[in-house]
Amino acid sequence: MDGFLIELADVLEEDVVTPTDLLEQFQGWDSLAVLSVIAMADSDFGVKLTSKQVNAAGTVQGLYDLMNAASMTA
Amino acid sequence: MRLDFANKKISGLLTVLPRNERSFLDEMANFNFPISRSLKLKAVMGYDRHRLVDGPVCVSDLAVFGMTHLFETGTLKRDEIDALVLVTQSPDYFMPATSNVIQGRLGLHDDVFCVDINQGCAGFVVGLIEAFMLLEQPAIQKVVLINADVISRKVSTRDRNSFPLIGDAAAITLLERTSDAAPIVASIKMDGSRRDALMIPAGGFRQPSHPATATMTEDSAGNFRALDHLVMDGAAVFNFVMMEIPAMIESLLTAAHRDIGSVDAFLFHQPNRFMLQKLADKLGVPHEKMPSNVVENFGNSSGVTIPLAIALNLRQQLRDTTVQVCLAGFGVGLTWGAMLLALGPLHFCEMIDYP
Repeated sequence: MDGFLIELADVLEEDVVTPTDLLEQFQGWDSLAVLSVIAMADSDFGVKLTSKQVNAAGTVQGLYDLMNAASMTA
Repeated sequence: MRLDFANKKISGLLTVLPRNERSFLDEMANFNFPISRSLKLKAVMGYDRHRLVDGPVCVSDLAVFGMTHLFETGTLKRDEIDALVLVTQSPDYFMPATSNVIQGRLGLHDDVFCVDINQGCAGFVVGLIEAFMLLEQPAIQKVVLINADVISRKVSTRDRNSFPLIGDAAAITLLERTSDAAPIVASIKMDGSRRDALMIPAGGFRQPSHPATATMTEDSAGNFRALDHLVMDGAAVFNFVMMEIPAMIESLLTAAHRDIGSVDAFLFHQPNRFMLQKLADKLGVPHEKMPSNVVENFGNSSGVTIPLAIALNLRQQLRDTTVQVCLAGFGVGLTWGAMLLALGPLHFCEMIDYP
């Protein structure tokens, strides 16, 4: 999960993100961040996520679980 | 669908860009987003400068300007044009066809086949396919393909999702028969069930323009636009491109018995730098073989971006050498297509500004 946290922090322009953080609380959580997450899911996990799914993830952990769940069913 | 062509070539290319240039940095204040996030967007997507028509400039204005330049420089003669294919999504009128408008304004003879095609980001590939099919006719020796759009006139200036990347432009491509050309292979696919991903909802017969369709509303991401404006689901388009394009290129290469390393340049539609780099990575193509510098210099002018990528990056080389290229266009429709061909030496390859 460490690599994911580092990559997500870079997307959000934060020094560090932790699993319990709410995505909505980041100033950087916008349509660009959503697209970057979708791209990350595609290149790192080989899965397609919709912006609706990403927006509904809630927390950093939720986002990580979403990618793993999708990659297991892909 | 797989398509094959023999004994045909692209013999020249001219691009026409509006002289009026705008910069993303100047426009950031129009968007309802923190400046730091807009700067991040600029860095990731490669937004910088873009060319937009200034005032009510139409597609036929850009096309006639470019064609007149070719006539005046002696590059092309009026009476040698047998067909004029225009690909646009921003016609001068609902009727008549803008290709007829261009023919009339240029004073071409009446023995010319004019046709308008409504296609966007795949419009260069679709236009080439149409032009090559016309060249199967013995009466047709030379086809002028015009890709032109002034879509900025239908994009909200307060839409950070679309406005920073939009560009207006035209390209004129000359195609002709030849006896010594290498075979050309192409592939084209369409999926109208996903048509909502990119559209201008109002202004046609389904939803005519009305004061209500001009009302600006804010979307969930903070962009302001009206139903008269272009709307794009960027995430859906991204997934579509990543899913379909690498697979199409790989099957095209297999069909042509070609190795990916034998392609010198991947000249793809230019939505933004981000998507092109992701595509290059997925295909295993070095970034320097897939130019992604059209959006930062001129903006995304839908069907004109492939000709711009060719002219901007290869025009010196194409004067006297042959480059093995792979073209790919993808977008509105949804439509996606790709083509493998040997490009050059070209009779002309030039970029001019309008006016």
